[in-house]
Amino acid sequence: MKANNNEADIPWICDKCNEKLKLRKTRIAYLGAEFQVELLKCPKCGMVFIDEELAKGKILEVEKSLEDK
Amino acid sequence: MNLDKLLQTGERCINEAPPPCSACCPLHIDIKAFVEAIEKNDFKDAYKIIEKRMPLPRITGMICDHPCEESCTRNKKGGPILIGELEKSAVLYGYSGPKKSYPPRPAGKKAAVIGGGLRGIIAAHDLANKGISIDIYEKNSFIGGRIWDYECKSLTAHMIREELSFLDNNEQIEIFLNRNITRSDLNEIMTGYDAVLLTADDLISAYDYSRETFQVGNSSLFSAAEQDRKNSFIFAASSAKRAAVSIERHIKKVSMTASRENEGSYISSLNYNIEEEKYRQPVHKTNEFFSKKEAILESSRCFKCQCRDCIRSCAHLCKFNIAPKSYIRNINHNERIIKGSHYANKMILSCTECGLCKEKCSYGINMKNVIRETRESMTLRGKMPPSAHDFALRDMKFSNSEKFFTYRRELNKEKIKYVFYPGCQLPASNPGYIEKIYSYLTKNSDAGVGLMLGCCGAPADWGGRAELMNETVNLIKNAWRELGKPVFILVCPSCISNFEKYMDEIEFISLWEIIDSWGLPDNCPANPGMKLNIHDPCTSRHMSSMQKSIRSIASKLKCEITELKYSKELTKCCGYGGLVYFANREQSNDFIDDRIAESSEDLLVYCTMCKDLFTSRGKRTFHLLDLLFSDNLDDSCKQKMPTLSERQQNRINVKNQLLRKIWNEGTEMDKDDKKYQITENVIEKMEEMYIVLSDIKNTVINSIEKKERFFNPEENTYLCRMRIENITYWVKYKTENEKILVTNVYSHRMEVVEKNYESQ
Repeated sequence: MKANNNEADIPWICDKCNEKLKLRKTRIAYLGAEFQVELLKCPKCGMVFIDEELAKGKILEVEKSLEDK
Repeated sequence: MNLDKLLQTGERCINEAPPPCSACCPLHIDIKAFVEAIEKNDFKDAYKIIEKRMPLPRITGMICDHPCEESCTRNKKGGPILIGELEKSAVLYGYSGPKKSYPPRPAGKKAAVIGGGLRGIIAAHDLANKGISIDIYEKNSFIGGRIWDYECKSLTAHMIREELSFLDNNEQIEIFLNRNITRSDLNEIMTGYDAVLLTADDLISAYDYSRETFQVGNSSLFSAAEQDRKNSFIFAASSAKRAAVSIERHIKKVSMTASRENEGSYISSLNYNIEEEKYRQPVHKTNEFFSKKEAILESSRCFKCQCRDCIRSCAHLCKFNIAPKSYIRNINHNERIIKGSHYANKMILSCTECGLCKEKCSYGINMKNVIRETRESMTLRGKMPPSAHDFALRDMKFSNSEKFFTYRRELNKEKIKYVFYPGCQLPASNPGYIEKIYSYLTKNSDAGVGLMLGCCGAPADWGGRAELMNETVNLIKNAWRELGKPVFILVCPSCISNFEKYMDEIEFISLWEIIDSWGLPDNCPANPGMKLNIHDPCTSRHMSSMQKSIRSIASKLKCEITELKYSKELTKCCGYGGLVYFANREQSNDFIDDRIAESSEDLLVYCTMCKDLFTSRGKRTFHLLDLLFSDNLDDSCKQKMPTLSERQQNRINVKNQLLRKIWNEGTEMDKDDKKYQITENVIEKMEEMYIVLSDIKNTVINSIEKKERFFNPEENTYLCRMRIENITYWVKYKTENEKILVTNVYSHRMEVVEKNYESQ
């Protein structure tokens, strides 16, 4: 799974830290399965950014397949 | 889950039972497929189908005495399909040359066949194909016996010789002509062979043989006796084939009897329902044989007998085109699989558990119980897909939380005889009716009527959550005991069904029986001539006294009722049952549309979800309460289902308003709502993704308090996220003065493990 955004396109910044978001390796988990993926996040506080396309696309697809495992 | 018991249930399904014709045919030709091939103008395929089971197909096909026709289901609707004539058509139009075959590996065994007539030739054919060397002893100077009696214009001597030519071409077969074998010769012959088969009637009559195996005692002597029917060409062929099977088993020293139950002619367990089939007479031949066109027309009369009684009446079984037998095999596989995908999940979660299949099944197979048990097992094993029923269960939890759940005695009454329990969906869809009903009940009874709000646990029951169901039952029972064990007055058929199933010590009565007996509410207008079809909810299938009350009230209201084809104990589900509405919306819509298509008038229902689902697809539908309490009938039959958030808010309002108005209790009202403005587009998304306003509010509040949010300086917009239970909600919003303008929402279940963050 890969985030569709790259760092340059993103208009969002972390409101708390006032930092631009950076692609970083992040762990995501569902139903006991864990993956490491590159996602945009605040380099300071670590808050992870997931946009709608990713949530309703690849993430949903993986969720569905894990639910039937 | 007891999978052996499950498989036994599946075994009772006759969907895969052969049609009567194939069971009756002693060779068990797949007659249905054969007739279907002709109907499709594929005579070659039809010929191949008979060739699979029928040796010497051009001869047998032409002279078969077709006992199958006697058993044809079409008999009662115009006369049997002329299968014998169709066999001839297949030979005439479908034969395209001899079947290609490869010589089998010689088995190193040898058998003698006494008699070179029809039975001898067929047995020799089958045994030689198994690699067994065959010597045929024939008393005449030619082979074929009675086959030659049928020589005619359409079965020429040339055709017969061609069909018999395999005897000359097969190196495993040797023929000894002019050899009359008598009983005294047999002992000597038997010493030279691994088995001997008698096909000559004079010898057959001299020995006792097993009717099952055709074996004479435990010896190597076998008898191809025409045991089921004399002078039948096809029964004789069957005897020869069955005796050949026994010889092969004897030679290979394997069980003589295992798995031979359905050899020979038998009666199929299939009982095809012809009620709705139309009468059609057989096609008349214009010549000696059917033309292709005539054969195709005659084939089209075939019912293609198969039991599909349950499938035909169920939108779910129809969608998956599956009968209980195969369904249960899929469940069995789903339950046993350890690694890999559980492909049957979607199907298992698409059954409404309405129980109509059982009503339609002559063997009483009830998929409702099978599905319920399966879902319980999936939950116990941790294999239930969390997304399937998540919202319904959260909504249930909401209804049984302090936001809605409550109970009171009637004001100023120490003791109450009744407690009114409107369930969770009626207050969500029609909050205004609750006070009206309660007021009707208290006005008409001095015995004391209390009120209890909450959810009966239907989502837990449908979703296979036994533990949650148990908790709900305890919640209701404790409240009931505290109220002094009053009789429940129930409105919702699902509540009634759950009270019956899980709370048998609690006495209850339906509101409908009460109204029917106490009389219509005051100022309730009669509706003379209002034409309606009644849709009984599936949970009321066996509640005949309630069904009667509904019809009686409708009649007192002067409505003209027409019954639907599927009503009362045969009623269909609206598409909400079994939580299919949440697990598979497309399937749910199929149920709704199927039911709407059946009704010609406006619908009259007495379950809130039935009404909400029918109106959601544009059907004018009245709840019986609309006829009793609505201020605007025309609007009420078109009323759209409130959104999920509105439904929860309506429940909160019902509780607060009733407690305030009737019990004079002060309640805290949530004043925060006014701050939020949500676009139409977002409201639609919330419905689609089962997001409610409180999820949005909690997420936004968290983002403001902790500053956990992203900011887009170009649009002056915030995006925030919050994990609530097992879901992460994302909300995009702007702030304008004190208002929160929500412009987007989405969610996911995958959890981002932020605590494991490593700065890179």
